[in-house]
Order: sequence, then structure tokens, then C-alpha cells
Amino acid sequence: MCGLCGIFLTESHWTDATVGATRSGGRTRRHERLHRVAQANRILKQYGLKLTDWHGSAYLLGGQTGQTAIVPSVAAVWPAAERLRKQSIDPLDERLIEVLEHD
Amino acid sequence: MTSGSSFTPVNVLTGFLGSGKTTLLQRLLRSPRMKRTAVLINEFGEIGLDHLLVQQVDESVVVLQSGCICCSIRDDLKSALRELLSRRERHEIPPFDRVVIETTGLADPGPILYTLLSEPVIRHHFQLGNVITTVDVVNAELHLSRNREGIKQVAAADRLVLTKSDLAEPGQTAALRAELARLNPSARLWDAAQDPVDPDFLLDAMPSGTLPDSARYRLEGGVAREPELTAGKLAATGGLSRHTHSVSSFSLILDRPMDWTAFGIWLSLMLNRHGDDVLRVKGILCVEGTDTPVFINGVQHIVHPPRHLEHWPTEDHRSRIVFITRGIDQGRLRRSLEAFCRLRAAELSVA
Repeated sequence: MCGLCGIFLTESHWTDATVGATRSGGRTRRHERLHRVAQANRILKQYGLKLTDWHGSAYLLGGQTGQTAIVPSVAAVWPAAERLRKQSIDPLDERLIEVLEHD
Repeated sequence: MTSGSSFTPVNVLTGFLGSGKTTLLQRLLRSPRMKRTAVLINEFGEIGLDHLLVQQVDESVVVLQSGCICCSIRDDLKSALRELLSRRERHEIPPFDRVVIETTGLADPGPILYTLLSEPVIRHHFQLGNVITTVDVVNAELHLSRNREGIKQVAAADRLVLTKSDLAEPGQTAALRAELARLNPSARLWDAAQDPVDPDFLLDAMPSGTLPDSARYRLEGGVAREPELTAGKLAATGGLSRHTHSVSSFSLILDRPMDWTAFGIWLSLMLNRHGDDVLRVKGILCVEGTDTPVFINGVQHIVHPPRHLEHWPTEDHRSRIVFITRGIDQGRLRRSLEAFCRLRAAELSVA
């Protein structure tokens, strides 16, 4: 944990790997994180949730009722989102697939 | 991304009870190439291993808060590897440049792989090499029908080693080869009773060779199969496939380069909800913004760090992903992946 700001310094997750555009210099790390947040929010908004970057080291997940959760990686967003919403978020859900196909 | 050059490779040798793991290990260790190998074994069997560095580990699993068994740290393995590392640094043991872990027959490979890929000290000193699974031709049907871990061991394999084929009934080996190719088309087969021992082939992780390539495989109807398999031979799997019918493998080919972030979001969401039934994901991706392919490899909830390969293995530069799943509709999975990869967040201006 960082002694100054209390942020847990976690090991990097595979979803955080710098692949593609970032590697070739197209995006900075911060830009990549914001891109990741924007992509995740395309899913989360279907469930009334929103993700924001938190100090460049974690993510803050919030719901419409004010509940929040701090998560270290995109992969950790989904179980936290399911806990906040008390429902499963299934990428094979027909309704979700149709929404994304017409998004 | 991992470069891998300064890491000690670790191979996992798994397989059903009595399927010939220790015999294979003995044969491997006779090779001069294996002299500087440390061996960790779960249980000392009747067959003695005369090797310089052999250590026993006891199976103890620490289940993490998630409650998922495959995302569990094998505490015994963690301690054993850390101790090996520490003793090597202090020159208390002969130097070694490879570790082979022989599991018990009933071991779920998930926690072993999770420990190697996630334990902070271990992941910075060791790199997971090939997972080798022995399959006893004579008793494969019995093992696969009674042992849920058996399917996981086959799915996790990079190399499948057929054993006791010299004792098998006529047609039994061909039927098993067909069924294993159906279950895990990304693994390469090796027959212990017929083929000479080749440590390089069995142990070395060679990303460019770990996917079905055009020389050995063809892609038919989305499913990667060995060319010699015919409908007749597949039908001959009969009794064996009765026990494995819920497990299917298929290969998706995506024509357009994909956004890595969108793919990461899809796969992480997929593994969160269906990780128990996604037994294996392995593929090379054509990713936007890079000319070289990205290699991905996952076993249930566990995903290796993605790696950039130096070049494409063939002229075909499309993304190819092999999935081994249980009870998941192939068509819907494809639609889901394509829908997620269409995600196009507006370009963001960064202050």
C-alpha cells in the first residue's frame, strides 16, 4: 500500500497489458486507461452502473443508489458489478448481445 | 508483456492415476538435456527417481476469497518453489535451469497454474512452460468417465502423451487420438510407446507452434482437426465420447483486426460468468496498432500474460482462437465476441 495516499499497489492484470496501439505509441497509459473505462461503460450502462478511473491506479465503480466499489482491474469490475446490482452480467445474454449489435 | 529470457521455465506433468507420468519423467530425465532440472513431485510412487534434485510437496490448497477452486494458491507449491529459488541463490543446491512438477493423478491443474502465474515472487522468477498430460490408452474411457479432473487435465495440455498404446486393442489408439483431437485441438500428440523421447518437443513452449498450423491442421466448419481424422474414425470413438460429449472445442477466425481493450473486456467478463465451463482459450490475435500477432493462453479463470510473437506463423494474418468449452453454445459465443469487438468508444481527449 502506498503510505501517502493509501492506495493498494496491486500486481498488474493481464487486461492491463500494453498491446497494440499503446505499444506503437498511439496511446499513452492514461489514454489507454480512459479508453478501457469508456469501453467498459458501454456494458455497464446497460445495468445502471458507471466506471471511472481512480488516481490512475484503480477503478471506482458506482451505481445509481450511491453504492460504490473500488476495484484494481477491469476483470475485478464484473464480480463487483454483479454484487452491486445483485444480478449476473452475462456476455452470452441474448438481450445484451442485441443491444451491442445495434449500439 | 513478458520477455521470458531470464525466467526459469516450469513444466507441469499431469495425467490420470497410473497413466505413466513417472515413467515418462524417468525417460525424460535420462536425457543429457535434463541434467540441470529440479523435480517437484506430489507423491513418491513405486518407481524411484534417481535424480539430483527431487523434492516432495504435499497438496494443500488455500482457497481465495473468490471461492473459485482454480483461482487458488497451492501453498505447498509456493513454498517449494520459493525454497528452491532461495537455496539456488545461496548455492546450497546445484544450479538448475528448469523445474518439472509432477502432480497427483487427481490434481486439478488450475490451482497449480494459478500459483505459477499469480504468486508475486514466483511469477517474477519462473515462467510456465508446456503443460504435459499423459493419457493411458487402455484406461482412458474409465478415467475420463469417473474423473472430472481428467477432462481438465486434457484441456489444459499443450502436449498430450499417449501411454500404453502397445497394450491397447486394435483401433483403440486411433479412437482415442480422434477424441483427444476433438477435445483439445491445440495440443500436440506424442505416443510414448512409439516415438523417441524428445525433451525439446515435450517441454519447450514454442508459441508459434502451439496453435494448429496449416501444415498439420485444417480448419473445417470452425473446428480444428488433425487432417488424418475422418468421419469414420470419429464415429469409432463411441464409448469414450459418451462421457465427453458435453465438452466441445471449436476455433473462431476473425477477419478484422480487433481492439485489445474490447477483447480483454469480453474475455474477462466471459471468464467471470462462465470460467468453470471455458476449459481453455488459446489463440493468436491480430490486434489493431501492431503488425505482429499477440498470443493468448488461458485455462478456466486463469489467463497467461499476453505475449507478442515476433512474426506470424503463416501467411494467414487473421485472429484465430481455439475454445474448449462445456455446454456453451458456439454460435452465441461467436456473436457475443463479435458484438463486443464492435465496441467503439469515442476517441477521448486527454488533458
